[in-house]
Amino acid sequence: MSSLNQLSITEAADKLQKKEISAVELTRACLDETAKRNPALNAYLEVFDDAEQQAADADARRAKGENGPLLGIPLGMKDNILIEGKHVSAASNILEGYVASYDATVTAKLKQAGAVFLGRTNMDEFAHGSSTENSAFGPSKNPHDEARMPGGSSGGSAAAVAAHLALGALGTDTGGSIREPASFCGIVGLKPTYGAVSRLGLIAMGSSLDQAGPLTKTVADAELIFNAIKGKDSLDSTSIDFSVQKSMPKKIGVPRHLLKTGVDPDILEKFEASLAALKAEGYEVVDIELPSAGLALAVYYVIMPAEVSANLARFDGVRYGLSNKGVSLWEDYAKTRGAGFGPEARRRIMLGTYVLSSGYYDAYYGKATAAREMLRAEVVQALEGVDLIANPSAPTPAPKLGEKTNDPLAMYLLDIFTVTANLTGNPAISVPMGTVEREGLPAQAGKHLPAGLQFTAAHGNEQALFVAGKALEKTGGTMRSNG
Amino acid sequence: MVSKEDIQNLAELARLELSDSEVEGLQKDISHILEYVGQVSAVSADAKISVPENRNVMREDTPRAEGDPMVGKREAVVAAFPKREGDYNVVRKIIQKDE
Repeated sequence: MSSLNQLSITEAADKLQKKEISAVELTRACLDETAKRNPALNAYLEVFDDAEQQAADADARRAKGENGPLLGIPLGMKDNILIEGKHVSAASNILEGYVASYDATVTAKLKQAGAVFLGRTNMDEFAHGSSTENSAFGPSKNPHDEARMPGGSSGGSAAAVAAHLALGALGTDTGGSIREPASFCGIVGLKPTYGAVSRLGLIAMGSSLDQAGPLTKTVADAELIFNAIKGKDSLDSTSIDFSVQKSMPKKIGVPRHLLKTGVDPDILEKFEASLAALKAEGYEVVDIELPSAGLALAVYYVIMPAEVSANLARFDGVRYGLSNKGVSLWEDYAKTRGAGFGPEARRRIMLGTYVLSSGYYDAYYGKATAAREMLRAEVVQALEGVDLIANPSAPTPAPKLGEKTNDPLAMYLLDIFTVTANLTGNPAISVPMGTVEREGLPAQAGKHLPAGLQFTAAHGNEQALFVAGKALEKTGGTMRSNG
Repeated sequence: MVSKEDIQNLAELARLELSDSEVEGLQKDISHILEYVGQVSAVSADAKISVPENRNVMREDTPRAEGDPMVGKREAVVAAFPKREGDYNVVRKIIQKDE
Protein backbone atom coordinates (compact mmCIF):
# COMPACT_ATOMS: atom_id res chain seq x y z
CA MET A 1 0.00 0.00 0.00
CA SER A 2 1.55 3.21 -1.14
CA SER A 3 -0.65 5.79 0.57
CA LEU A 4 -2.32 5.80 3.95
CA ASN A 5 -5.71 6.74 2.47
CA GLN A 6 -5.71 3.45 0.56
CA LEU A 7 -5.72 1.40 3.78
CA SER A 8 -8.80 -0.42 4.97
CA ILE A 9 -10.14 0.58 8.39
CA THR A 10 -8.89 -2.71 9.83
CA GLU A 11 -5.37 -2.14 8.47
CA ALA A 12 -5.28 1.50 9.59
CA ALA A 13 -6.54 0.61 13.08
CA ASP A 14 -3.70 -1.87 13.41
CA LYS A 15 -1.09 0.72 12.38
CA LEU A 16 -2.62 3.32 14.71
CA GLN A 17 -2.57 0.87 17.57
CA LYS A 18 1.10 0.06 16.93
CA LYS A 19 1.75 3.83 16.74
CA GLU A 20 3.26 3.40 13.26
CA ILE A 21 1.00 6.20 12.03
CA SER A 22 -1.08 8.97 13.59
CA ALA A 23 -4.71 9.87 13.02
CA VAL A 24 -3.56 13.29 11.77
CA GLU A 25 -1.38 11.67 9.08
CA LEU A 26 -4.25 9.39 8.08
CA THR A 27 -6.71 12.28 7.86
CA ARG A 28 -4.24 14.42 5.88
CA ALA A 29 -3.79 11.60 3.38
CA CYS A 30 -7.56 11.51 2.80
CA LEU A 31 -7.77 15.32 2.60
CA ASP A 32 -4.88 15.47 0.09
CA GLU A 33 -6.55 12.92 -2.17
CA THR A 34 -9.87 14.77 -1.76
CA ALA A 35 -8.25 18.03 -2.88
CA LYS A 36 -7.03 16.24 -6.01
CA ARG A 37 -10.10 14.27 -6.99
CA ASN A 38 -13.18 15.84 -5.41
CA PRO A 39 -13.47 18.72 -7.90
CA ALA A 40 -14.16 16.08 -10.59
CA LEU A 41 -15.97 13.47 -8.49
CA ASN A 42 -18.18 15.82 -6.41
CA ALA A 43 -18.28 13.14 -3.71
CA TYR A 44 -18.21 15.69 -0.86
CA LEU A 45 -20.52 18.70 -0.70
CA GLU A 46 -18.40 20.09 2.12
CA VAL A 47 -15.08 19.09 3.63
CA PHE A 48 -15.09 20.03 7.32
CA ASP A 49 -12.41 22.57 8.23
CA ASP A 50 -11.96 20.94 11.66
CA ALA A 51 -11.18 17.44 10.31
CA GLU A 52 -7.50 17.71 11.24
CA GLN A 53 -8.43 19.02 14.68
CA GLN A 54 -10.75 16.04 15.20
CA ALA A 55 -7.85 13.77 14.23
CA ALA A 56 -5.53 15.56 16.66
CA ASP A 57 -8.16 15.03 19.39
CA ALA A 58 -8.25 11.32 18.54
CA ASP A 59 -4.45 11.14 18.77
CA ALA A 60 -4.63 12.86 22.17
CA ARG A 61 -7.22 10.33 23.36
CA ARG A 62 -4.93 7.51 22.24
CA ALA A 63 -1.96 9.10 24.01
CA LYS A 64 -4.01 8.96 27.21
CA GLY A 65 -4.39 5.21 26.79
CA GLU A 66 -7.69 4.97 24.94
CA ASN A 67 -8.00 2.34 22.26
CA GLY A 68 -10.62 1.06 19.88
CA PRO A 69 -10.90 0.10 16.23
CA LEU A 70 -12.46 3.41 15.08
CA LEU A 71 -10.35 5.81 17.15
CA GLY A 72 -8.81 8.23 14.63
CA ILE A 73 -10.46 6.63 11.56
CA PRO A 74 -11.54 9.25 8.98
CA LEU A 75 -15.05 8.74 7.61
CA GLY A 76 -17.45 10.48 5.25
CA MET A 77 -20.99 11.21 6.42
CA LYS A 78 -23.97 11.33 4.07
CA ASP A 79 -25.58 14.77 3.99
CA ASN A 80 -28.79 13.54 5.67
CA ILE A 81 -27.11 12.60 8.98
CA LEU A 82 -27.05 15.32 11.65
CA ILE A 83 -23.76 16.45 13.18
CA GLU A 84 -24.31 19.16 15.79
CA GLY A 85 -23.11 22.57 14.63
CA LYS A 86 -22.57 21.46 11.03
CA HIS A 87 -24.63 22.45 8.01
CA VAL A 88 -26.83 19.59 6.77
CA SER A 89 -28.98 19.82 3.65
CA ALA A 90 -30.04 16.38 2.36
CA ALA A 91 -28.66 17.86 -0.90
CA SER A 92 -31.76 20.08 -1.09
CA ASN A 93 -32.20 23.82 -1.53
CA ILE A 94 -35.04 23.75 0.99
CA LEU A 95 -32.54 23.25 3.83
CA GLU A 96 -30.43 26.20 2.71
CA GLY A 97 -28.35 27.45 5.63
CA TYR A 98 -29.71 24.88 8.09
CA VAL A 99 -27.33 23.93 10.90
CA ALA A 100 -27.98 20.72 12.87
CA SER A 101 -28.98 21.44 16.46
CA TYR A 102 -28.05 18.00 17.79
CA ASP A 103 -26.11 14.85 16.92
CA ALA A 104 -27.83 11.89 15.28
CA THR A 105 -27.45 8.84 17.51
CA VAL A 106 -25.14 7.26 14.91
CA THR A 107 -23.05 10.46 14.97
CA ALA A 108 -22.85 10.44 18.77
CA LYS A 109 -21.83 6.79 18.79
CA LEU A 110 -19.11 7.35 16.19
CA LYS A 111 -17.84 10.40 18.09
CA GLN A 112 -17.64 8.28 21.23
CA ALA A 113 -15.67 5.67 19.25
CA GLY A 114 -13.30 8.45 18.16
CA ALA A 115 -14.06 8.53 14.42
CA VAL A 116 -13.04 11.63 12.43
CA PHE A 117 -15.72 13.20 10.21
CA LEU A 118 -14.08 14.41 7.00
CA GLY A 119 -17.12 15.99 5.43
CA ARG A 120 -20.67 15.55 4.23
CA THR A 121 -21.14 13.45 1.11
CA ASN A 122 -23.37 14.13 -1.87
CA MET A 123 -26.64 12.28 -2.39
CA ASP A 124 -29.89 12.38 -4.32
CA GLU A 125 -32.04 15.10 -2.78
CA PHE A 126 -33.74 13.66 0.32
CA ALA A 127 -32.32 10.28 -0.78
CA HIS A 128 -34.79 10.21 -3.69
CA GLY A 129 -32.89 8.43 -6.41
CA SER A 130 -30.45 5.77 -7.50
CA SER A 131 -27.75 7.87 -9.17
CA THR A 132 -27.08 11.15 -7.18
CA GLU A 133 -28.32 12.97 -10.29
CA ASN A 134 -31.18 14.34 -8.20
CA SER A 135 -28.81 16.29 -5.94
CA ALA A 136 -29.47 20.04 -5.98
CA PHE A 137 -25.68 20.44 -6.11
CA GLY A 138 -24.83 18.38 -9.19
CA PRO A 139 -24.23 14.64 -9.57
CA SER A 140 -21.31 12.70 -8.13
CA LYS A 141 -19.21 10.72 -10.58
CA ASN A 142 -18.20 7.06 -10.49
CA PRO A 143 -14.45 6.83 -9.72
CA HIS A 144 -14.11 3.89 -12.15
CA ASP A 145 -15.46 6.02 -15.02
CA GLU A 146 -16.39 9.65 -14.47
CA ALA A 147 -18.89 9.48 -17.34
CA ARG A 148 -20.95 7.09 -15.21
CA MET A 149 -23.11 7.44 -12.12
CA PRO A 150 -21.83 6.19 -8.77
CA GLY A 151 -25.33 4.94 -7.91
CA GLY A 152 -27.45 6.42 -5.20
CA SER A 153 -28.76 7.76 -3.16
CA SER A 154 -25.59 7.36 -1.04
CA GLY A 155 -23.48 7.91 -4.17
CA GLY A 156 -21.17 10.52 -2.63
CA SER A 157 -20.32 8.14 0.21
CA ALA A 158 -19.67 5.28 -2.24
CA ALA A 159 -17.53 7.42 -4.57
CA ALA A 160 -15.53 8.80 -1.61
CA VAL A 161 -14.71 5.31 -0.31
CA ALA A 162 -14.01 3.78 -3.73
CA ALA A 163 -11.65 6.67 -4.64
CA HIS A 164 -9.95 6.48 -1.22
CA LEU A 165 -11.12 9.96 -0.16
CA ALA A 166 -12.22 8.32 3.10
CA LEU A 167 -11.52 4.98 4.78
CA GLY A 168 -15.26 4.33 5.10
CA ALA A 169 -18.53 6.22 5.14
CA LEU A 170 -22.04 6.17 6.49
CA GLY A 171 -25.01 6.12 4.18
CA THR A 172 -28.71 5.52 4.53
CA ASP A 173 -30.77 2.89 2.72
CA THR A 174 -34.52 3.15 2.10
CA GLY A 175 -34.76 0.98 -1.03
CA GLY A 176 -31.13 0.12 -1.82
CA SER A 177 -29.40 3.46 -1.34
CA ILE A 178 -26.36 1.89 0.35
CA ARG A 179 -26.19 -1.43 -1.55
CA GLU A 180 -26.74 -0.23 -5.13
CA PRO A 181 -23.97 2.46 -5.04
CA ALA A 182 -21.69 -0.04 -3.26
CA SER A 183 -22.29 -2.43 -6.17
CA PHE A 184 -21.65 0.26 -8.81
CA CYS A 185 -18.45 1.50 -7.09
CA GLY A 186 -16.99 -1.91 -6.21
CA ILE A 187 -17.18 -1.65 -2.42
CA VAL A 188 -19.13 -3.22 0.46
CA GLY A 189 -22.47 -1.77 1.63
CA LEU A 190 -24.64 -2.98 4.53
CA LYS A 191 -28.33 -2.27 5.16
CA PRO A 192 -28.88 -3.44 8.76
CA THR A 193 -32.03 -5.08 10.15
CA TYR A 194 -34.80 -2.49 10.52
CA GLY A 195 -34.42 -1.17 14.06
CA ALA A 196 -30.85 -2.40 14.58
CA VAL A 197 -29.55 1.16 14.17
CA SER A 198 -31.32 4.21 15.60
CA ARG A 199 -32.92 6.59 13.11
CA LEU A 200 -32.75 9.58 15.46
CA GLY A 201 -31.12 12.45 13.62
CA LEU A 202 -31.43 11.01 10.12
CA ILE A 203 -33.47 13.24 7.81
CA ALA A 204 -36.44 10.91 7.30
CA MET A 205 -37.49 9.61 3.91
CA GLY A 206 -39.63 6.50 4.41
CA SER A 207 -39.75 5.92 8.15
CA SER A 208 -40.81 2.26 8.01
CA LEU A 209 -37.96 1.55 5.54
CA ASP A 210 -34.98 3.79 6.47
CA GLN A 211 -31.79 2.42 8.03
CA ALA A 212 -28.30 3.90 8.29
CA GLY A 213 -25.32 1.69 7.57
CA PRO A 214 -21.69 1.52 6.45
CA LEU A 215 -20.04 1.72 3.02
CA THR A 216 -16.54 0.28 3.30
CA LYS A 217 -13.67 -1.32 1.40
CA THR A 218 -14.02 -4.69 3.17
CA VAL A 219 -16.65 -6.77 4.94
CA ALA A 220 -14.60 -6.70 8.17
CA ASP A 221 -14.71 -2.87 8.05
CA ALA A 222 -18.50 -2.89 7.62
CA GLU A 223 -18.75 -5.14 10.66
CA LEU A 224 -16.61 -2.73 12.73
CA ILE A 225 -18.81 0.25 11.89
CA PHE A 226 -22.03 -1.72 12.34
CA ASN A 227 -20.92 -2.83 15.81
CA ALA A 228 -20.21 0.80 16.73
CA ILE A 229 -23.58 2.22 15.60
CA LYS A 230 -26.11 -0.52 16.46
CA GLY A 231 -28.30 -0.75 19.52
CA LYS A 232 -31.52 0.30 21.21
CA ASP A 233 -32.10 4.04 21.52
CA SER A 234 -34.77 5.43 23.84
CA LEU A 235 -35.28 8.25 21.33
CA ASP A 236 -36.21 5.89 18.46
CA SER A 237 -39.07 3.67 19.55
CA THR A 238 -38.56 1.37 16.54
CA SER A 239 -34.97 0.59 17.54
CA ILE A 240 -34.32 -2.85 18.99
CA ASP A 241 -31.95 -4.45 21.45
CA PHE A 242 -29.38 -6.19 19.46
CA SER A 243 -27.28 -9.12 20.51
CA VAL A 244 -24.89 -10.65 18.02
CA GLN A 245 -26.02 -14.12 17.01
CA LYS A 246 -23.50 -16.86 16.44
CA SER A 247 -23.85 -17.91 12.86
CA MET A 248 -22.21 -20.38 10.53
CA PRO A 249 -24.25 -20.04 7.34
CA LYS A 250 -24.04 -23.06 5.06
CA LYS A 251 -27.07 -22.99 2.80
CA ILE A 252 -27.73 -20.29 0.20
CA GLY A 253 -31.11 -19.94 -1.52
CA VAL A 254 -31.31 -18.35 -4.97
CA PRO A 255 -34.66 -17.05 -6.30
CA ARG A 256 -33.73 -17.81 -9.93
CA HIS A 257 -37.29 -17.15 -11.09
CA LEU A 258 -36.58 -13.43 -10.50
CA LEU A 259 -33.45 -13.44 -12.68
CA LYS A 260 -35.00 -14.62 -15.95
CA THR A 261 -35.45 -11.17 -17.50
CA GLY A 262 -33.97 -7.71 -17.13
CA VAL A 263 -30.51 -8.72 -15.88
CA ASP A 264 -27.41 -8.18 -18.02
CA PRO A 265 -26.07 -11.60 -19.16
CA ASP A 266 -22.52 -10.90 -17.93
CA ILE A 267 -23.87 -9.87 -14.49
CA LEU A 268 -25.63 -13.25 -14.33
CA GLU A 269 -22.40 -15.01 -15.38
CA LYS A 270 -20.46 -13.30 -12.58
CA PHE A 271 -23.23 -14.18 -10.16
CA GLU A 272 -23.20 -17.87 -11.12
CA ALA A 273 -19.39 -17.93 -10.99
CA SER A 274 -19.51 -16.44 -7.47
CA LEU A 275 -22.01 -19.07 -6.36
CA ALA A 276 -19.75 -21.77 -7.81
CA ALA A 277 -16.81 -20.32 -5.88
CA LEU A 278 -18.89 -20.33 -2.68
CA LYS A 279 -19.81 -23.98 -3.34
CA ALA A 280 -16.10 -24.73 -3.49
CA GLU A 281 -15.84 -23.07 -0.07
CA GLY A 282 -18.37 -25.57 1.29
CA TYR A 283 -21.65 -23.71 0.82
CA GLU A 284 -24.72 -25.50 -0.47
CA VAL A 285 -26.70 -23.59 -3.13
CA VAL A 286 -30.40 -24.35 -3.72
CA ASP A 287 -33.24 -22.75 -5.69
CA ILE A 288 -35.98 -21.03 -3.71
CA GLU A 289 -39.26 -19.38 -4.66
CA LEU A 290 -40.45 -15.99 -3.43
CA PRO A 291 -43.83 -15.84 -5.20
CA SER A 292 -44.59 -12.20 -4.30
CA ALA A 293 -41.10 -10.80 -4.87
CA GLY A 294 -41.96 -9.81 -8.44
CA LEU A 295 -44.34 -7.27 -6.90
CA ALA A 296 -41.75 -5.79 -4.54
CA LEU A 297 -40.84 -2.74 -6.62
CA ALA A 298 -44.50 -1.85 -7.23
CA VAL A 299 -45.25 -2.23 -3.51
CA TYR A 300 -42.22 -0.08 -2.67
CA TYR A 301 -43.25 2.68 -5.08
CA VAL A 302 -46.59 2.96 -3.28
CA ILE A 303 -45.43 2.76 0.34
CA MET A 304 -42.27 4.86 -0.01
CA PRO A 305 -43.87 7.92 -1.70
CA ALA A 306 -46.76 7.75 0.77
CA GLU A 307 -44.26 8.04 3.64
CA VAL A 308 -42.22 10.64 1.73
CA SER A 309 -45.25 12.88 1.26
CA ALA A 310 -45.93 12.72 5.02
CA ASN A 311 -42.29 13.18 6.10
CA LEU A 312 -41.62 16.09 3.75
CA ALA A 313 -44.71 17.94 4.98
CA ARG A 314 -42.50 19.35 7.76
CA PHE A 315 -40.53 21.49 5.31
CA ASP A 316 -42.89 24.45 5.28
CA GLY A 317 -40.59 27.47 5.60
CA VAL A 318 -41.99 28.29 9.03
CA ARG A 319 -39.37 26.93 11.42
CA TYR A 320 -36.10 26.55 9.50
CA GLY A 321 -34.53 26.46 6.07
CA LEU A 322 -35.76 28.21 2.94
CA SER A 323 -38.70 30.56 3.58
CA ASN A 324 -40.33 32.21 0.55
CA LYS A 325 -43.23 34.63 0.96
CA GLY A 326 -46.40 35.06 -1.09
CA VAL A 327 -49.62 36.97 -0.44
CA SER A 328 -51.21 34.30 1.76
CA LEU A 329 -50.22 31.48 4.07
CA TRP A 330 -51.03 28.97 1.31
CA GLU A 331 -48.72 30.83 -1.06
CA ASP A 332 -45.96 30.96 1.56
CA TYR A 333 -46.05 27.16 1.75
CA ALA A 334 -46.46 26.60 -1.99
CA LYS A 335 -43.69 29.00 -2.99
CA THR A 336 -41.27 27.65 -0.38
CA ARG A 337 -41.95 24.03 -1.28
CA GLY A 338 -42.30 24.63 -5.02
CA ALA A 339 -38.90 26.33 -5.18
CA GLY A 340 -37.14 24.39 -2.40
CA PHE A 341 -37.84 20.83 -3.56
CA GLY A 342 -36.29 19.53 -6.79
CA PRO A 343 -38.28 17.73 -9.52
CA GLU A 344 -37.94 14.18 -8.13
CA ALA A 345 -38.93 15.22 -4.58
CA ARG A 346 -41.96 17.03 -6.01
CA ARG A 347 -42.82 13.96 -8.13
CA ARG A 348 -42.69 11.66 -5.10
CA ILE A 349 -44.70 14.03 -2.91
CA MET A 350 -47.37 14.17 -5.64
CA LEU A 351 -47.37 10.38 -6.08
CA GLY A 352 -47.60 9.86 -2.31
CA THR A 353 -50.41 12.37 -2.03
CA TYR A 354 -52.23 10.52 -4.82
CA VAL A 355 -51.97 7.02 -3.31
CA LEU A 356 -53.08 8.30 0.09
CA SER A 357 -55.97 10.40 -1.19
CA SER A 358 -59.57 9.49 -0.60
CA GLY A 359 -60.87 7.05 -3.21
CA TYR A 360 -57.44 5.63 -4.07
CA TYR A 361 -56.17 4.68 -0.61
CA ASP A 362 -57.59 1.13 -0.57
CA ALA A 363 -56.57 0.33 -4.15
CA TYR A 364 -52.96 1.45 -3.69
CA TYR A 365 -51.76 1.93 -0.11
CA GLY A 366 -54.08 -0.69 1.36
CA LYS A 367 -53.15 -3.32 -1.21
CA ALA A 368 -49.45 -2.46 -1.00
CA THR A 369 -49.49 -2.87 2.78
CA ALA A 370 -51.15 -6.27 2.42
CA ALA A 371 -48.64 -7.34 -0.26
CA ARG A 372 -45.79 -6.15 1.96
CA GLU A 373 -46.96 -8.44 4.77
CA MET A 374 -47.24 -11.35 2.31
CA LEU A 375 -43.72 -10.70 1.08
CA ARG A 376 -42.41 -10.48 4.61
CA ALA A 377 -43.99 -13.83 5.48
CA GLU A 378 -42.48 -15.42 2.36
CA VAL A 379 -38.98 -14.15 3.14
CA VAL A 380 -39.22 -15.25 6.77
CA GLN A 381 -40.37 -18.69 5.64
CA ALA A 382 -37.63 -18.97 3.00
CA LEU A 383 -35.02 -18.12 5.61
CA GLU A 384 -36.22 -21.01 7.76
CA GLY A 385 -35.06 -23.35 4.98
CA VAL A 386 -31.84 -21.56 4.00
CA ASP A 387 -29.36 -19.35 5.89
CA LEU A 388 -29.03 -16.70 3.18
CA ILE A 389 -30.76 -15.50 0.04
CA ALA A 390 -28.42 -14.44 -2.78
CA ASN A 391 -29.00 -12.36 -5.91
CA PRO A 392 -27.14 -9.74 -7.93
CA SER A 393 -27.27 -6.38 -6.09
CA ALA A 394 -28.32 -4.61 -9.29
CA PRO A 395 -29.32 -5.82 -12.77
CA THR A 396 -26.53 -3.85 -14.50
CA PRO A 397 -23.16 -2.22 -13.77
CA ALA A 398 -23.17 1.59 -13.31
CA PRO A 399 -25.13 3.27 -16.13
CA LYS A 400 -23.86 6.42 -17.82
CA LEU A 401 -24.85 9.76 -16.34
CA GLY A 402 -28.05 10.97 -17.98
CA GLU A 403 -28.92 7.53 -19.32
CA LYS A 404 -31.92 7.11 -16.99
CA THR A 405 -32.91 10.68 -16.19
CA ASN A 406 -35.68 10.99 -18.79
CA ASP A 407 -37.65 8.03 -17.54
CA PRO A 408 -38.31 7.87 -13.78
CA LEU A 409 -39.48 4.27 -14.00
CA ALA A 410 -36.26 3.12 -15.73
CA MET A 411 -34.31 4.69 -12.85
CA TYR A 412 -36.57 2.99 -10.30
CA LEU A 413 -35.87 -0.42 -11.88
CA LEU A 414 -32.21 -0.21 -10.74
CA ASP A 415 -33.56 -0.98 -7.25
CA ILE A 416 -35.47 -4.10 -8.28
CA PHE A 417 -33.31 -6.47 -6.17
CA THR A 418 -32.73 -4.22 -3.17
CA VAL A 419 -36.19 -2.93 -2.17
CA THR A 420 -37.38 -6.28 -0.79
CA ALA A 421 -35.08 -6.13 2.25
CA ASN A 422 -36.41 -2.67 3.15
CA LEU A 423 -40.03 -3.80 2.83
CA THR A 424 -39.42 -6.89 4.97
CA GLY A 425 -36.91 -5.34 7.41
CA ASN A 426 -34.25 -8.01 6.77
CA PRO A 427 -30.53 -7.17 6.84
CA ALA A 428 -28.75 -7.29 3.47
CA ILE A 429 -25.21 -6.66 2.25
CA SER A 430 -23.68 -6.00 -1.16
CA VAL A 431 -20.19 -7.46 -1.64
CA PRO A 432 -18.11 -7.08 -4.83
CA MET A 433 -18.31 -10.18 -7.03
CA GLY A 434 -15.88 -9.06 -9.75
CA THR A 435 -16.09 -6.88 -12.81
CA VAL A 436 -17.79 -6.88 -16.19
CA GLU A 437 -16.46 -5.45 -19.45
CA ARG A 438 -17.95 -2.42 -21.14
CA GLU A 439 -16.71 -0.48 -24.15
CA GLY A 440 -15.48 3.08 -23.96
CA LEU A 441 -14.16 3.05 -20.41
CA PRO A 442 -11.13 5.14 -19.44
CA ALA A 443 -7.77 3.38 -19.58
CA GLN A 444 -7.35 3.15 -15.81
CA ALA A 445 -10.57 1.14 -15.50
CA GLY A 446 -9.23 -1.35 -18.06
CA LYS A 447 -12.71 -1.71 -19.60
CA HIS A 448 -13.97 -3.13 -16.34
CA LEU A 449 -16.84 -2.02 -14.12
CA PRO A 450 -17.57 -3.55 -10.71
CA ALA A 451 -20.70 -5.47 -9.77
CA GLY A 452 -22.00 -6.64 -6.42
CA LEU A 453 -23.66 -9.73 -5.01
CA GLN A 454 -26.35 -9.27 -2.38
CA PHE A 455 -26.90 -11.58 0.56
CA THR A 456 -30.06 -11.26 2.67
CA ALA A 457 -30.29 -12.91 6.11
CA ALA A 458 -32.93 -13.45 8.79
CA HIS A 459 -33.87 -10.49 11.00
CA GLY A 460 -31.05 -9.75 13.42
CA ASN A 461 -28.60 -12.13 11.76
CA GLU A 462 -26.08 -9.63 10.34
CA GLN A 463 -23.45 -12.11 11.46
CA ALA A 464 -24.44 -14.52 8.67
CA LEU A 465 -23.90 -11.69 6.16
CA PHE A 466 -20.42 -10.97 7.51
CA VAL A 467 -19.36 -14.64 7.47
CA ALA A 468 -20.60 -15.27 3.93
CA GLY A 469 -19.39 -11.85 2.75
CA LYS A 470 -15.87 -12.64 3.92
CA ALA A 471 -16.04 -16.01 2.18
CA LEU A 472 -17.01 -14.27 -1.06
CA GLU A 473 -14.18 -11.74 -0.62
CA LYS A 474 -11.73 -14.61 -0.30
CA THR A 475 -12.79 -15.93 -3.70
CA GLY A 476 -11.54 -12.67 -5.26
CA GLY A 477 -13.26 -9.77 -6.95
CA THR A 478 -12.94 -7.18 -4.19
CA MET A 479 -11.64 -3.73 -5.03
CA ARG A 480 -8.58 -4.44 -2.89
CA SER A 481 -7.31 -6.97 -5.44
CA ASN A 482 -7.68 -4.67 -8.44
CA GLY A 483 -6.50 -1.54 -6.74
CA MET B 1 -54.20 9.29 -17.87
CA VAL B 2 -54.40 11.44 -14.76
CA SER B 3 -56.14 14.71 -15.66
CA LYS B 4 -54.66 18.18 -15.44
CA GLU B 5 -57.27 19.03 -12.78
CA ASP B 6 -56.22 15.99 -10.72
CA ILE B 7 -52.60 17.14 -10.78
CA GLN B 8 -53.57 20.68 -9.82
CA ASN B 9 -55.76 19.38 -7.00
CA LEU B 10 -52.94 17.15 -5.69
CA ALA B 11 -50.50 20.07 -5.87
CA GLU B 12 -52.89 22.12 -3.78
CA LEU B 13 -53.20 19.32 -1.20
CA ALA B 14 -49.41 18.93 -1.15
CA ARG B 15 -48.80 22.70 -0.96
CA LEU B 16 -46.62 22.77 -4.08
CA GLU B 17 -46.47 25.56 -6.62
CA LEU B 18 -46.04 23.97 -10.06
CA SER B 19 -45.44 25.58 -13.45
CA ASP B 20 -47.80 24.73 -16.33
CA SER B 21 -45.14 22.68 -18.08
CA GLU B 22 -44.49 20.72 -14.88
CA VAL B 23 -48.20 19.95 -14.52
CA GLU B 24 -48.09 18.45 -18.00
CA GLY B 25 -44.92 16.48 -17.25
CA LEU B 26 -46.39 15.13 -14.02
CA GLN B 27 -49.58 14.05 -15.78
CA LYS B 28 -47.41 11.80 -17.94
CA ASP B 29 -44.99 10.63 -15.19
CA ILE B 30 -47.62 9.92 -12.54
CA SER B 31 -49.83 8.04 -15.03
CA HIS B 32 -46.84 5.97 -16.17
CA ILE B 33 -45.81 5.14 -12.60
CA LEU B 34 -49.39 4.37 -11.50
CA GLU B 35 -49.71 1.96 -14.40
CA TYR B 36 -46.67 0.08 -13.05
CA VAL B 37 -47.56 0.16 -9.35
CA GLY B 38 -51.17 -0.73 -10.24
CA GLN B 39 -49.94 -4.37 -10.17
CA VAL B 40 -50.59 -4.26 -6.44
CA SER B 41 -54.33 -4.04 -7.02
CA ALA B 42 -54.21 -7.67 -8.17
CA VAL B 43 -53.17 -8.76 -4.67
CA SER B 44 -55.94 -10.88 -3.20
CA ALA B 45 -54.96 -10.34 0.43
CA ASP B 46 -57.09 -7.93 2.39
CA ALA B 47 -55.29 -4.97 3.88
CA LYS B 48 -57.42 -5.10 7.00
CA ILE B 49 -56.08 -8.46 8.11
CA SER B 50 -52.46 -7.36 7.97
CA VAL B 51 -51.02 -6.41 11.32
CA PRO B 52 -48.08 -4.01 11.27
CA GLU B 53 -45.04 -5.19 13.19
CA ASN B 54 -44.43 -1.85 14.80
CA ARG B 55 -46.52 -0.36 17.57
CA ASN B 56 -46.45 3.08 19.04
CA VAL B 57 -44.43 3.46 22.19
CA MET B 58 -45.45 6.07 24.75
CA ARG B 59 -43.19 7.79 27.24
CA GLU B 60 -43.83 9.69 30.46
CA ASP B 61 -44.51 13.38 29.92
CA THR B 62 -41.52 14.51 31.96
CA PRO B 63 -38.61 16.86 31.24
CA ARG B 64 -35.70 15.21 29.48
CA ALA B 65 -32.89 14.09 31.73
CA GLU B 66 -29.46 15.68 31.75
CA GLY B 67 -27.28 14.01 29.10
CA ASP B 68 -30.22 13.57 26.73
CA PRO B 69 -29.09 14.79 23.29
CA MET B 70 -32.08 17.14 23.09
CA VAL B 71 -31.24 18.99 26.32
CA GLY B 72 -29.64 22.42 25.98
CA LYS B 73 -30.43 22.83 22.27
CA ARG B 74 -33.07 25.56 22.65
CA GLU B 75 -30.91 28.41 21.34
CA ALA B 76 -29.86 26.40 18.29
CA VAL B 77 -33.51 25.71 17.45
CA VAL B 78 -34.52 29.35 17.95
CA ALA B 79 -31.55 30.51 15.84
CA ALA B 80 -32.92 28.55 12.86
CA PHE B 81 -36.20 30.53 12.71
CA PRO B 82 -36.52 32.24 9.31
CA LYS B 83 -37.77 35.44 11.04
CA ARG B 84 -36.94 35.93 14.66
CA GLU B 85 -37.93 38.58 17.19
CA GLY B 86 -36.25 37.94 20.50
CA ASP B 87 -37.17 34.35 21.27
CA TYR B 88 -40.29 34.50 19.13
CA ASN B 89 -40.74 32.92 15.70
CA VAL B 90 -42.58 35.51 13.61
CA VAL B 91 -45.22 33.84 11.45
CA ARG B 92 -48.10 35.00 9.31
CA LYS B 93 -51.42 35.61 11.00
CA ILE B 94 -53.43 32.42 10.54
CA ILE B 95 -56.96 33.47 11.50
CA GLN B 96 -58.17 36.34 9.35
CA LYS B 97 -61.52 38.01 8.74
CA ASP B 98 -63.45 36.78 5.74
CA GLU B 99 -63.19 39.24 2.92
